[in-house]
Amino acid sequence: MQSAKRYIQIDSIRHGLYHVDVSSTSASPAVTTAGFQVLLALASGHSHGYAVMGFVDQLTAGRVRLGPGTLYRTLARLVADELVAESETSDPSAPHDARRRYYQLTQRGAQVVREEAALLSRLVDAAGDAGLLDGNRRTR
Amino acid sequence: MTSQRPLGLGTHIFVTDADAAVAFYSEVFGAAELIRHRLPDGRVLFVELAVGPDKLLLSEEITELNAVAPPTLGGSPVMLLLELDNVDSTFTHAVETGATVELPVAEMFWGERYGIVRDPFGHRWALCTRREQLSPDEVADRVPAEPTDGTWSG
Repeated sequence: MQSAKRYIQIDSIRHGLYHVDVSSTSASPAVTTAGFQVLLALASGHSHGYAVMGFVDQLTAGRVRLGPGTLYRTLARLVADELVAESETSDPSAPHDARRRYYQLTQRGAQVVREEAALLSRLVDAAGDAGLLDGNRRTR
Repeated sequence: MTSQRPLGLGTHIFVTDADAAVAFYSEVFGAAELIRHRLPDGRVLFVELAVGPDKLLLSEEITELNAVAPPTLGGSPVMLLLELDNVDSTFTHAVETGATVELPVAEMFWGERYGIVRDPFGHRWALCTRREQLSPDEVADRVPAEPTDGTWSG
């Protein structure tokens, strides 16, 4: 019985609030942190794989570095989820390298990145209200 | 607090037919193939699949690399857990696509609808959907004294 209780406690952690509330109340697929950053880069007009990597690096002051492997996996997942599409300007004869190809948000991708941005904005507002952003907070 | 906190945990499974397995996991679990590498002789060294937010690596059986699939071992001691929005539809689809039922879907005492299938490649999957938000104490109060007809259903 002791081991059963232990399992139950672990189980309750596995189903933390974020997982249950975010993924089950939205019809859109939940995006990972890297996924959101790539969607954000594309929404900001960076359509080339190298530009996406540079944007994320600059935006996060080097704290997040999307390596070519992560960029490739993230883009492949977003394409599979139909949030991102390779754009017409891609050179089909180019080597299969995500950094050398062009991408754009699909309509669904634009919707998902808006929803995620709105959620993050509410969290950041709450962080501000909690006094976590004193000294480096932009005014709303 | 350990100083060796991992950055992630993934799963790497072995199958006798990588193409059939990728087709099954894509069809039934909505997996997306991200990367595939082959050996010069054509055998699949590994495929990286995205399953929901997580990663599933899959290799073809290559006995000389000690990559051995369940049929060769005579079973699998591991169960893969997959949380879904609708366990019933995925469970049914899995069975229609060639999986066998180990435990039919039922309401479980810990607050999930839950069932187990064995896929056509011998891997066991526990499929579940969260139904109730129970506290650990509430679940503990519901734990049966012993498994009833082998199912542990509440």
